[in-house]
Amino acid sequence: MVRAATGTADRARPYPLIRPILRPGLGSCEGCGARHLQERFERALQVCPACGHHGRVPAPVRIEQLADPGTVAPIAAMVPERDPLRFDDGMAYPDRLRAAREATGQSEAMLTARASLGGTTVVIASMEFDFLGGSLGSAAGALFAAGCDLAVAERRALVAVCTSGGARMQEGIAALAQLARCTAAVAAVADAGLPYLAVLADPCFGGVTASFAAQADVILAEPGARIGFAGGRVIEQAARDQLPDGFQKAEFLLSHGMIDAVVSRTELRPILTTLLRAYGGRCARVPA
Amino acid sequence: MTAVSSRDLTEAEDAAFAAVELARHPQRPRALDVIEHLFDDWTELRGDRLYGDDPAMLGGPALLDGRWVMVLAQEKGSDAMSRALRNFGMPHPEGYRKAQRLMRQAERFQLPVLCLVDTPAAHAGVGAEERGQAWAIAETLLVALRLRVPVISTILSEGGSGGALALALADRVLALENAVYTVAPPETCAAILWRDSGQRARAALALRPGVATALALGLVDELIPEPSPGVHAHPTLVMAALRGALVRHLDQLDALGAEPRMSLRRSRYRSAGDPVLN
Ligand SMILES: [Zn+2]
Repeated sequence: MVRAATGTADRARPYPLIRPILRPGLGSCEGCGARHLQERFERALQVCPACGHHGRVPAPVRIEQLADPGTVAPIAAMVPERDPLRFDDGMAYPDRLRAAREATGQSEAMLTARASLGGTTVVIASMEFDFLGGSLGSAAGALFAAGCDLAVAERRALVAVCTSGGARMQEGIAALAQLARCTAAVAAVADAGLPYLAVLADPCFGGVTASFAAQADVILAEPGARIGFAGGRVIEQAARDQLPDGFQKAEFLLSHGMIDAVVSRTELRPILTTLLRAYGGRCARVPA
Repeated sequence: MTAVSSRDLTEAEDAAFAAVELARHPQRPRALDVIEHLFDDWTELRGDRLYGDDPAMLGGPALLDGRWVMVLAQEKGSDAMSRALRNFGMPHPEGYRKAQRLMRQAERFQLPVLCLVDTPAAHAGVGAEERGQAWAIAETLLVALRLRVPVISTILSEGGSGGALALALADRVLALENAVYTVAPPETCAAILWRDSGQRARAALALRPGVATALALGLVDELIPEPSPGVHAHPTLVMAALRGALVRHLDQLDALGAEPRMSLRRSRYRSAGDPVLN
């Protein structure tokens, strides 16, 4: 089937923060296979009580986990829908986007909100891995940049939770350009003297790591999170390299000096709170 | 609704991959050939002062039409020996850190930065990951964005992934007409989408990797024409055209002044990727 060449008109859509429904019943840990009550698992921030495996967290849940209760205000943003290449990988890209929206309840792989974190109002950008592998396309890039702009305009710190497979193949070169866009947005935050703290969650690869995830003032990562530029499978195939133990895990990156700390999910809030107190001094003041 | 026969589709895929192969033609001028054609007094400076020297990334001052510039270039190699030495143009983190060092040096001595892009992708390997490939690229992007001196990037043959973008965040991006500029090489794209790098022709068709796509999206500013069958048949002609374009853009960027130039560079990338192809 060939779609009409005029099918590229931009459609802007409102960007709601949809609270995910707590799943009832039993689930099982992806780390050790232990069965657990879903409700209790979610109360434990999706960390397995048996093995400590950090389960994947949807973007809005992540914001709720980090924010002071009742303080989350989603940033109203229009998500431009783009299909620059009229890409079809077996499913037309607009259809793939629609399916991702239905599956996740999210408009894009990036969700931004204003929230209080340990008493400090911050801008939080949170990525949704289940939305096309958390891939970075022009809408997600625009949302991240808009979050940075808001941080600059209101003199707030920026907190980003990064989890992504990399640039979105379906947008081709336009997706690659998002690395530059997000770099420019991070530079604006840094030049305004505002702190930018990043939390890297499993998995975080490609263009996201090679731009705003690695450009933060402080980089925290969750235990066991796989983080890097190229995926381990690609490296094994391309170079036939024997992968060392724990390769590309958060602990491996810590020992190689790439991140500041490995922080379990329950400790994220207190550590971010302390860092915001330490680095947030210039937020209220306009720099000289 | 038009039905596309599978034979037409196969032909379209083959044509798309043939275009990628043309961009990878072994006789196309490599960065060192371009440097020899375009510049005088090229003086190579090596090492990242941290770990090592990356032969896939070259840098150093040179004269272009009587004016000193800092050249940064990805070099693929031109025969079996040099290709192995240059790692097929795939830089390691030390290559990007060398580029950062020389970008900063260019700023210190008021030299415009001229980048020559020719890489399928940044190197994927254990050592590259251990030494922070993503961090090296991310920092190079920041350094390039903030340079007070003019930055012009030219995509010579192949520009793939963040490994190419690190040398292509610029005030002006030029490209030779038959070059490709993509988010990932078609082989990698096919591996990601269909877990089968053998479907590279299918990926080549879907990705629209030709630099005309990047031109239409505003990510490339000017194409340097290549007479048929390509630059490898007419290197002197194309190099003369490239030199003329570089000098013309340098004059324009010099006239702008540092502050407007930097703010235009930033605003350009703040809307990057938004225009839609017709
Ligand atoms: Zn477990």
